[in-house]
Amino acid sequence: MKQQQEEILPPKRSDKFLERYCYKPIFDSISGDLMERFDEYLELHGEKKARRKYWIDVIRFMNRHTLKRSNSNVNNYNPFTMFNNYFKVGFRNLLKNKSFTAINVLGLSVSMAVCLIIILIINDQTSYDNFQENADKIYRFTHETDEGLNLKIATVPEPLANTISNRFAGIDKVVNFHRLNGELLHEGKAIDLQGYYTDPALFDLFSYKLRLGNPATALSEPFSIVLKEDIARKFFKEEDPIGKTIKIDGRGTYTVTGVLEKLPGKTHIRFEVFASTSSLQGLEEQGTHIRGKGNRESPNQTWTYFELLNGYSVEQLNASLNELEKEFYNEDSEFLVDFEVQAMTNITPGPLYGNQIGEGMPSFFIIGFGVLAALIIICAAFNYTNLSAARAITRTKEVGVRKVMGARRIQLTIQFVVESVILSLLALVLSMAFLAFLVPAFENLQMSSVLNWQLKLDAKAYLQFFGFAVLVGIVTGIFPSLYLSSFNAISAMKGLLSKKKLSGWALRKTLIVSQFVISIVLIASSMLVYKQIIFMVDKDYGYTKENIINIDLQGQNYAILKTELEKLPFVEDITASNIIPNTGISNSMDIWKETEEESFNINYFSVDDRYLDMLGLELVAGTDFKKDADSYNRQSLLINEKALSSLGFDSARDAIGGQVHSEADSTVFNIIGVVKDYNYQIVYMDIQPLLIRYEPESYQFAQVKILGYDLTDEMATIDEVWDEFDPNNELIAKTYQGQQDEFNSFFFDWAFMPLPYKRA
Amino acid sequence: MQYKLGEFEEIVLLLVAAQHGEAYGLSITRAIEKELQRSVTMSSVHTALYRLEEKGFVASHIGDSEGNRRGRRKRVFVITAVGKKSLIEAREARNHIWNMIPKFVLEFAK
Repeated sequence: MKQQQEEILPPKRSDKFLERYCYKPIFDSISGDLMERFDEYLELHGEKKARRKYWIDVIRFMNRHTLKRSNSNVNNYNPFTMFNNYFKVGFRNLLKNKSFTAINVLGLSVSMAVCLIIILIINDQTSYDNFQENADKIYRFTHETDEGLNLKIATVPEPLANTISNRFAGIDKVVNFHRLNGELLHEGKAIDLQGYYTDPALFDLFSYKLRLGNPATALSEPFSIVLKEDIARKFFKEEDPIGKTIKIDGRGTYTVTGVLEKLPGKTHIRFEVFASTSSLQGLEEQGTHIRGKGNRESPNQTWTYFELLNGYSVEQLNASLNELEKEFYNEDSEFLVDFEVQAMTNITPGPLYGNQIGEGMPSFFIIGFGVLAALIIICAAFNYTNLSAARAITRTKEVGVRKVMGARRIQLTIQFVVESVILSLLALVLSMAFLAFLVPAFENLQMSSVLNWQLKLDAKAYLQFFGFAVLVGIVTGIFPSLYLSSFNAISAMKGLLSKKKLSGWALRKTLIVSQFVISIVLIASSMLVYKQIIFMVDKDYGYTKENIINIDLQGQNYAILKTELEKLPFVEDITASNIIPNTGISNSMDIWKETEEESFNINYFSVDDRYLDMLGLELVAGTDFKKDADSYNRQSLLINEKALSSLGFDSARDAIGGQVHSEADSTVFNIIGVVKDYNYQIVYMDIQPLLIRYEPESYQFAQVKILGYDLTDEMATIDEVWDEFDPNNELIAKTYQGQQDEFNSFFFDWAFMPLPYKRA
Repeated sequence: MQYKLGEFEEIVLLLVAAQHGEAYGLSITRAIEKELQRSVTMSSVHTALYRLEEKGFVASHIGDSEGNRRGRRKRVFVITAVGKKSLIEAREARNHIWNMIPKFVLEFAK
């Protein structure tokens, strides 16, 4: 019996398993105990159950006491103590090599400061509309035509919204915007403002909150206006503005029905006031506003936003838009247009669009900025990597000693990385000091005022800076550390690492080469951009612009200003117009000719009888406007050469005496002259057909030709005249150069280009 | 007292003292099962012993391989001076509390 029992042994495999996981020194005792126990089980429960119980015991024995230890002898390795030591050694090393540290910190901090600025700019540009609750459901329509620039336009014809919402059920809360620019007047105070005529659904669609007034009715009644808080305070101080009236120059009197809460963040719509769209009806009847109402071929005046309901997709909407295009914009209409849908989240930052509703940097600029930051910091990082690799020879003994003392490779690597992180954090401190100067400098750039940059140094930004610096530290340190920690202990101690091995490191050569390549590319592209600007500034536009100052009339009477300015000895000539050429702004009107069925849209300038002379525009045929012949001039029209073919004339001579009709007010114009083509739009656009008409009501700018001997003095005198003339408003006057620089700066002054032509 | 003794640890330590010079994992497991009528797994006894050793209450050495152990040696545990001291302290603490109990409270339990 006993003999038999001894034959039955515990399952072999479970013993093997125990042996595999168990810590060697205690295996014997555990295994022996288990065997003895097995015999007990056998007696109590029989073989089958005993085996099972044995298995369970083996598995139960697995815990931290019994498991195999890692091969290392360091059982109580404390990473925190080691980190303290890394920092201590790191600081000592940096202090020991003061010049090395200084060069690295200084170099890194300059690059880092630039990167920090770029981080701030990217933060600012990505902060748009983050407060909008329905942001992911808000869309707008955009369009593209086959005319002009190959650029998508943010506006659409006014009837589109109505037509599409009748056909497509997934659209709700449609909000149209029409531009409202003008001077707000109240009790002698005047502020020049930008805003929009818009619909009551505005407050449903967007998360603009009213501090005063009822959002449901604020924009329902004609001639209602909602003001931003700061504007309301400027006009009414602490008084309750609700129910008070404000006059908008040339656009009637409005009742204040609401005051907006301060916006919680930036929004892509640049506005100071919202007025009710229903006001436009009255204005159109008076003839003070020309809206493309009902006109499917006037795509430049209306921005249309809407909410796409759940369950409907953009694809479905696009299909519906395609049908609509086929129906209304086919071959017969000669106005081909392609409508698209754009999500609000893609607007700012987003692709470049024409006729934007507010400022914003195109997304390729932001990506460009990011790439620029990466290139700059990579160059700086390479610098550090190279310098520390070159210095590696001084650290070989240290590495050797540490290895002999039992340091593992990973520990050495961490030590060197910590060193470079310390360096990078030092650089961060210094670059923050640079930032104190850089932020105001950047905010003063013309580009910044155009784009309304707000470089906010908030907690988020500081956190990003810190993370950025640590990342830079790790990236710059990782290669030298891996390299240093790879030394063999004995050869490092004996100094056997040959000079050749240390200096011939392939990575170093690669780094130097790529660093030079990046630097050269950056310098070359800066020069290229610079030359491009000079080209644009110097380009022959086909008209004179020397010594001409453009004064924004700000709603004042041009005739009075003209007589005042003519008294000044240095003023040679004065003319007036509704827009300044080459500023990216254009006005257009619908005209038709008797011989042709369809009306069409064409750019125009409203000027006075001195315009051609002053800008030095040449006539190809016919005559200029007559001096002091108001009623004659009003019915007369000049066209450019490009307009000849679009109006259906064979030659310039043929055009003289021809007639065109204005769609808006049915005026009949007699063509009296043809002007040689000149570049009135953006330099890189083709010259487009143009009408020049005589229309004193629409003058926005006085263009004053001065002698220009002492520009500062002459400008100061004009300023004095203006102050007497209009004490409420500051003079807004720019030279052509200034005006164009402002426009160009929108694209170019990020590269810190000094413009030698900026004379005023 | 430098280390606190858990209830189970105290039992194991008491048994190590009781089986002085003879105590190993299985013997203590058996004793607990027999004397205290309490089922216990061997691994938890081993764990308690290792923990006591870490704390310095017991010391261990490799012992004989008596019994059906297929030649595998025992690890024999002996109580240390610190262990003894902590046992005494634990007992005194208990006695102290026992003495705090008014006599009549426990009379009815008898």
